[in-house]
Amino acid sequence: MPRHTAPRPGREQKRKSVLHEHDQHRSRDFRCVGCRLDVPSIAPGTAHRNHCPTCLVSLHVDRRVPGDRGASCRGRMDALSVSVRPDGEWMIVHQCAACGELSANRIAGDDNALALVRLALRPLCDPHVASKALVTL
Amino acid sequence: MPVNNIPKIDTFGCTRCGLTVTVRAADGSRRNHCPSCLHSLHVIDQFDGGSSECRSRMSPVSIAVLRNGDWRIIHRCVRCDELTSNPVSPDDNQLILLRMAVRPLAQPPFPLETFGDL
Repeated sequence: MPRHTAPRPGREQKRKSVLHEHDQHRSRDFRCVGCRLDVPSIAPGTAHRNHCPTCLVSLHVDRRVPGDRGASCRGRMDALSVSVRPDGEWMIVHQCAACGELSANRIAGDDNALALVRLALRPLCDPHVASKALVTL
Repeated sequence: MPVNNIPKIDTFGCTRCGLTVTVRAADGSRRNHCPSCLHSLHVIDQFDGGSSECRSRMSPVSIAVLRNGDWRIIHRCVRCDELTSNPVSPDDNQLILLRMAVRPLAQPPFPLETFGDL
C-alpha cells in the first residue's frame, strides 16, 4: 500500500537488526573473492562492512535486510556505481555477477579512494556520451 | 530492445510530476520511468520475481555504465529501499541524468585535490 503521510525531509538510514560491532571474536572476518585480501569486519566509519576496502568487491549473501544471510546465491558482487544520499554520504551500488541482484552499502573510512573515484567517474569518462548529453541541454 | 506487442496508445501518469507518458518510447522500447523527472513505480519484486505489492514511487539515485558504454538508471524505492536498474531512453531528461552523474564529484567524502599528486 502506498504511504499517505508526508515524506520526511531527509532519508533515515535503514534500520539494521544484525550488528557485528560487539563481536570480539574474528568469525565475521572474510576473505575478498576479488583480490583474496583478508578483511577484518571492524571498519572505521561503518558498522556494516560488506565489501573489500581495496577492490570494493562484495559477496551476495544477504537478502532484503543487510546482515540476514538469507541469500543462497553467494555470487561475486562487483561495484557498479556510486550514489549519493541527500546528506552527502556516498553509497556503492553492487550488482551480483551471478544473478544480477543489486544492493547498496555505505562506503567505509578505509575504502580505496582511487577505486572510488574511478567508479564515480565512470559515467563521464566516455566523452561521446557525456558531450551528447551536454549538447542536448 | 524493441517489443512489438506494446500498444502505441497506452499511457501512464507519473506519480511525481503528473506527466502523462506513453508506455512506448520513440525507439519502440517499453518505458518504465517518466522521461521528465525519471521517477518510476515499484511494480516488480526483484527478490522473488513477479509483481510487487509495494507500488510506491522509485526515485533515481545513480547512473551505472555497462561495459558497452550504455547508461542505466539505478532506481530506489522510497518505501522499501529496493533497487532496480533500467536502461536510459533517448528522450530522458539529460539535465537530471548529468546531474546524477556528477553528483558524487560535487560532494566528495575526501579532498579530490590530492589526486593530482598521484
